[in-house]
Formats: sequence, C-alpha cells, structure tokens
Amino acid sequence: MNCKELAYMLADYCNGSMDPRLREELDAHLAKCEPCMAFTKTFRATCEGTRKLREAIEYAIPAEVRERLDMFVRAAALKYPEKVKEYRDQVERDRREKVADLVGAAAAGKLPSAAALLVESHCASCPGCSGYFDAVRKTGASRAGDPPAGIRSHLIALMQALPPGEEFFLA
Amino acid sequence: MSAERWKDDEALLENLRKGAPGAVDELLRLYQGKIFNLAMSILKNESDAEEAAQDVFMTVIRKVETFQGNSAFYSWIYRICVNTCLMRLRGKRRNETVSIEEFMPVFTDEGMHASPMDDWSKEVERDALNEELGRMIRKYTEELSEKYRVVFVLSDVEGLSNEETAKILGLTVPAIKSRLHRARLYLREQLSRYILEGKAG
Repeated sequence: MNCKELAYMLADYCNGSMDPRLREELDAHLAKCEPCMAFTKTFRATCEGTRKLREAIEYAIPAEVRERLDMFVRAAALKYPEKVKEYRDQVERDRREKVADLVGAAAAGKLPSAAALLVESHCASCPGCSGYFDAVRKTGASRAGDPPAGIRSHLIALMQALPPGEEFFLA
Repeated sequence: MSAERWKDDEALLENLRKGAPGAVDELLRLYQGKIFNLAMSILKNESDAEEAAQDVFMTVIRKVETFQGNSAFYSWIYRICVNTCLMRLRGKRRNETVSIEEFMPVFTDEGMHASPMDDWSKEVERDALNEELGRMIRKYTEELSEKYRVVFVLSDVEGLSNEETAKILGLTVPAIKSRLHRARLYLREQLSRYILEGKAG
C-alpha cells in the first residue's frame, strides 16, 4: 500500500468497516510513514469536527419564517379538498362525453375496428347492452340521452379495456 | 433511523392520506425545521429556503395519495426537498463555488505524499479552536459545489446512512461514498491551510 491508496481508503478505516487484512496493511504503512500518520490524524479530526457540528446543530427555524410557513401550508391544505373535487368533476365530465361519443359512433356505425369488435363481443354476452344499442340504432343517438347506470358502467369498462393507442376518440 | 420515527411517519402518512384533521399540523411539526434547514444548506439564503419549503410541503400534500410505499416517507420528503432546491439553483445564476480538485491531496508518481504534512489534530482538541473548527467547516462546506454539498449535508450533517442518501439522490452507494470522501478530503485540506495560516500569522 502506498500513501495515495491509503488516503483514498481512509473512510472505511475510520468508520471501522475495513476488511481486517487491509487494516493490518494500512496500520503497517502508518507505523513507518510520518506524513500518512499526520494525514490520518487530521482526517479523523475533520470527521470528528463534522460529527460535533452535527450534534450542535439545532433545527432552528426563525420564528417569523415558521409562522408564515405554517399559515401558507395550512391555507393551501384547506383548499386542497376543493381542488380534488374539481379534478374528479372534470374526470366525470370527460367520461360522460366519451360515453356519449361511443354511443353516437356505434349508432352511426362509425366505431374504429378495435372498439367495434369489443362492443360486438360484449353485446353477444350482455342482453342489457345489446338491447340498449339496438334501441339507439333505431331512434338515433341524439335522442337517447345518457345510458342507464348499469349500461354506462359496462361502456366505461369497455373503453378502459381498449389497448393503448386504440382509445376511443371520435374522429 | 429510530423505531419511533418510523412509527410517527407511518401514522402521519396514513392520516395525510385520509385527510384527517391535524395531519397537516403534524407534518409541519415533524418536518418544518428539517426541511427548512436542508433547504438553507443547499440554497444558502433564507428567503429562497422559505419559498422552497413552501413548495416542498405543497408537493407533499398534493402527491401524498400517489406516494408508493416502497421508500420511507422521510426519504421521499427529503428527495422532494433536494429536487426542489436543485431546480431553484438551476434557475439562478450559479453560485460561486471552489474547485474541489485544487484541494485533493497531491502525490508523487510513486504514490507518496508530495509535500510535508502538518499534524494539527491535537491543537483542535482545545475548546477555543474546536468552536472555530465548526464555524470553518460550515463556511468551507458552503463553498463546495452542490454536487458534493448535497451529499455532505445529507450524510454528515443530517446523519443519514450512505444507503439512505443514495435513495434520496437516486445515485449508487459507491457514488455517494466517493463524493463524501472527496468532500472530507477537501475539508481536511481547507482546515489544514486555515490552521497553518493562523500559525504563520
């Protein structure tokens, strides 16, 4: 081991995690190398200094900063539930539109192929949806209004089942 | 990390998610001082640190629902704080920092110390110099570039393990160890020069 290697291995040596054989070698070098002894002692003193600094540091936050921060965060947190509600309402509106688009496109026979396939295979096993789409095709989507909740939840599940990139958008 | 802190954090996380009354107060009580100090040690400016702390708490409150429990809550908060501070630093003109290379030990081609070494370790055991040492460590740490300063602050000032620091910064443990060691070598050299100057003057 030379002085350079020693200097870059000091961290493990000082925190006691060094492999015992390496430690022996390092001790042997230290015993016969005055500069390394001084380097090691001052390195230790530096680490010791930072350790003491850590103990002395208090989590002092100026009182007026604490007060302002408290007020700001509390006020913002109060508004937060409103923001969540806004977001959920927006999602609900988007979903309603998408369902309407799906129904409209299905009635007009303009569904993209992946969506048409999904609707078809679902209707084959679901009398409720099958009946609904039959009725819509006869009366036209514009007069159908929002589908009943049971049908609606099936349609939302259908749209979510579409593979990425095949999501339903009315062209 | 003490068991108590874990327990505090788990309860806090649960309460924040539920929107329980008092959860935000508890969040502030546990983390306000720590986050402000961490922000101070990175940004080195009180009003910047205050704004950063506001951003940190807003982010925590907004994102707590999406927080994945695969890292500890405190390391998630620290990570948000470090990222917020670094973004702020990037938005500003870079602070004046010293080049750490100028303070690395110098060796001959044979790997021996190129200059004589002074052993000042006994001198700093005296109380007066000891306090001074703490002040100088703070000053020299502030002059480090943020790449080293953040690692040094988390490890040696916050007392986090290398593994915890690595998680917070998204770096490997060896990278943390290497940066930390270089930061300490730098500090040792700065302190040596300071003490020798004091002797000479």
